[in-house]
Amino acid sequence: MTVQEIDQRIRSRLVIKYNPRSFIVFLLLFPACAWMAFFYITPIAMLVYNSLAEDGLSILSKTVANPVYRSVFATTLEIGAASTLGCLLLGYPVAYALTVSRGALRGILLIIVGLPYWLDYVVRSFSWMVLLGQRGLINNFLLYIGVIDKPIQIMYTFLSVCIGMVQILLPIMILTLFAAMLRIDRRLMTAAAIHGAPPWKAFRTVFFPLSLPGVYAASLLVFISSLGFYITSALLGSPKESMISQSITLLAATLLKWSDASALSLVLLAITMAIVIVYDRVFSIDDLWGGKDA
Amino acid sequence: MHKTSHSFALGTSVALILAYLIFPIIVVVGISFNATTALRFPPNGWSLRWYEQLFSSSEWTGSFLISLQVGTLTMILSVLIGVPAAFALSRYKPPGRKLINALLLSALIAPPVVRALSTYLFYVPLGLNNTIIGLAIAHSVGGIPFVVINTVAGLRSFDTTLERAAIIHGAHPFIAVITITLKVIFPSIMVGAIFAFMQSLQELLISIFVLGTLGSPLAVKMWEGVRVGVDPTIAAASSMLVVLAAVVFGIVALAKLATDARGSARAGAGE
Amino acid sequence: MKAVDDVSLRVAPGSFVSLLGPSGSGKTTTLNLIAGFITPTSGDLLIDGVSVSAIPPHKRNIGMVFQAYALFPHMTVSQNVGYPLKMRTKLSATERQDRIVEALKLVRLAGLADRFPAQLSGGQQQRVAMARALVSSPRLLLMDEPLGALDKGLREDLQLEIKEIHSKLGSTIIYVTHDQTEALTMSDFLVVMRNAKIEQIGPPQAVYENPDSVFVASFLGTANLLPLGVVGMSADRLTGRLANGEMITIPTQSASSFSSGDAACLLIRPEDVKLSPCNSGKGLSPGLRAKLVDTMFHGDHSRVTLDLAGAKFTVQLHPAQIAEFNGSGDVFISWSAERARLIPADR
Repeated sequence: MTVQEIDQRIRSRLVIKYNPRSFIVFLLLFPACAWMAFFYITPIAMLVYNSLAEDGLSILSKTVANPVYRSVFATTLEIGAASTLGCLLLGYPVAYALTVSRGALRGILLIIVGLPYWLDYVVRSFSWMVLLGQRGLINNFLLYIGVIDKPIQIMYTFLSVCIGMVQILLPIMILTLFAAMLRIDRRLMTAAAIHGAPPWKAFRTVFFPLSLPGVYAASLLVFISSLGFYITSALLGSPKESMISQSITLLAATLLKWSDASALSLVLLAITMAIVIVYDRVFSIDDLWGGKDA
Repeated sequence: MHKTSHSFALGTSVALILAYLIFPIIVVVGISFNATTALRFPPNGWSLRWYEQLFSSSEWTGSFLISLQVGTLTMILSVLIGVPAAFALSRYKPPGRKLINALLLSALIAPPVVRALSTYLFYVPLGLNNTIIGLAIAHSVGGIPFVVINTVAGLRSFDTTLERAAIIHGAHPFIAVITITLKVIFPSIMVGAIFAFMQSLQELLISIFVLGTLGSPLAVKMWEGVRVGVDPTIAAASSMLVVLAAVVFGIVALAKLATDARGSARAGAGE
Repeated sequence: MKAVDDVSLRVAPGSFVSLLGPSGSGKTTTLNLIAGFITPTSGDLLIDGVSVSAIPPHKRNIGMVFQAYALFPHMTVSQNVGYPLKMRTKLSATERQDRIVEALKLVRLAGLADRFPAQLSGGQQQRVAMARALVSSPRLLLMDEPLGALDKGLREDLQLEIKEIHSKLGSTIIYVTHDQTEALTMSDFLVVMRNAKIEQIGPPQAVYENPDSVFVASFLGTANLLPLGVVGMSADRLTGRLANGEMITIPTQSASSFSSGDAACLLIRPEDVKLSPCNSGKGLSPGLRAKLVDTMFHGDHSRVTLDLAGAKFTVQLHPAQIAEFNGSGDVFISWSAERARLIPADR
């Protein structure tokens, strides 16, 4: 066999194995996957491992069995659920208004919805104190018109925490719903009207059912986001309204009890993933930001 | 399309809800002009002293600089990593796509405290704690999903015939992407980049954990203000951020108008 | 399922070839194969005698015009047209500018160099696309239904302009269309495609007058097809039986080989038929009797629908001739024997 023949054999083997197309995909996708795996997944995995490695699963039972932490988890889920519901009730009309408006009006509405996102959480809480405090605007007003004769307690309650959280989460709900509603063919409503349905009925029987997948997806996003909140409940709520992230931060940053903090983080993560998995089973996660993958 | 009464009902309720959304902004801006040190609304008289304080205080300007550095780095990293990934995901539809989508989405909604704690502990042996680049890397984990989402959306509405037109007329496929595709979907990439920047600006817990003694980005400074004692300077700082956001929105809106005027290459510009 | 099945084609340099066929016939796929966007599973592509299968599209020195024009929206007309020069040549900016100006003059868009595509009308965008395809004097120009999105008047104007450019430049053009009028008026050669295969190739008039199959006959213009069974053949004539039992004799044509018992169709074009009313006293000979069903006014001609032995038959008349027929009743039809063609019936 000549050198050229051997060379030819090797070349043809290389050509077969080296598929230019999958190489390009690899090149494009690898940095993102590696980056996320190394700087996001690995730290969390290590956290999980560390919290389990010390005392094994008993650390979990120590934290989960502890009634204080149990109630904090329960409170977190309650606040999350209430906030999500509030966001849904308030956000749906706004998303609908965005869908039916056009041009400049839609642009203005979008800016109004998007602007509050950039306001710092701490400073926002102060504005709620101004409204809801003992000497805040509401109380002053009610005292002034004589409905009450001493200030009512609105701040540092479950309600005030929800008011604060809904205001923060509302843009997420609105924009996600809006993106989903855009997909609904508006001509279906026109068709319903032509076939005799009054506007409310057309909405109820045509538009609303079609918007439900978006409702589920947006609610999921908002609920899971709400589980991670800390500042709002810390500033607007009483210790009864403490959320789990506050406990974890306290344990980690102030008390330096790393393993307890890790264990609680693990449980929080597990709850979050469980919710997503249940959601996927029931509703099936599409490309949450794009509907069915085109 | 709707009876007037329905539109009226919708309009009023939406207006009320939006008022609820905007309320904190109004209050905060109002507080920032307060003449006294109290966080009062309506303000006790009007003054610009807190804005003067903001711009003259070395602590605040230092914070701003740190936020700017971290934010810019985050933005650059997110774009460099996210844009190619978006191309791969939307053009080639690789296997495991669903998993990658889930991964990216999870980074957006993962509990911040979990990310902060795990990142801090992970950085200890790497020596990345207390560094600007370390924080930027951590923030880019939250920025990349924004870039990918927006770039994928831009690619979806992009007409790939344009690339074919470029290629058949002499452009190497890679050059076609650079000269045509990236330029046409640039607004989408820009929106993603802006979100990446802004989420870094906003991020609190990871900054607290990771940047410890080096200094405090703006978000941290405001949080500490709660403990240390507040004056309306933080209201001024927050208002500045909102103004910055409004300016950025304005630029994006103008850019969108400009590209819409140039339009897409689809047939039917009117005949 | 093959998108293109065993297509073999030879195109002479400088000719205008149309790929004509219904949607899904494989014509756009063939064009994309020539361009190099798709690789064939087997076979080869030769340009100027040289195999280009291994050459990627951007190196094939081809110009292409797309159905939706595909103009780069972020570039001016000038930059769009100059793009191939930037990519393929090393000309200086002034040299490029000269060529751009020339190309724009060729398509009659001289003053619009600094506009953006969105500011142009559909017809203007199409011209820019052509200028871009021609600016680097490619050896081959591919056009994928370029006039499909335009309205009729504009389409006809641009058809003429494209033909003019073709004769001016002498480039080889391969043109895809589903519009048979377009193909007939513009091409030197027609390639009729159907279901991923080539049905017939030839100059427009030849294909129109001598279709090989029922499909080609019906696709190009209106076809009156009389089914008949071949009964007998002799040296110079062929006898067949029509559906209603009548016998008909036609002169045999070269190349078509039929034998007794074959099923065939007699093709007569509407414009080749003569009509006379039955009550006029003088019958035409040879003539067949048919029943008048409907008349339609088409502006420069009229179309008369008849019932001939149970089958639909269309005749084209000058509008002035309609007056002879008073809307219903029987008529005599006849045609000149050389104008009719015998085609094998669809399998």
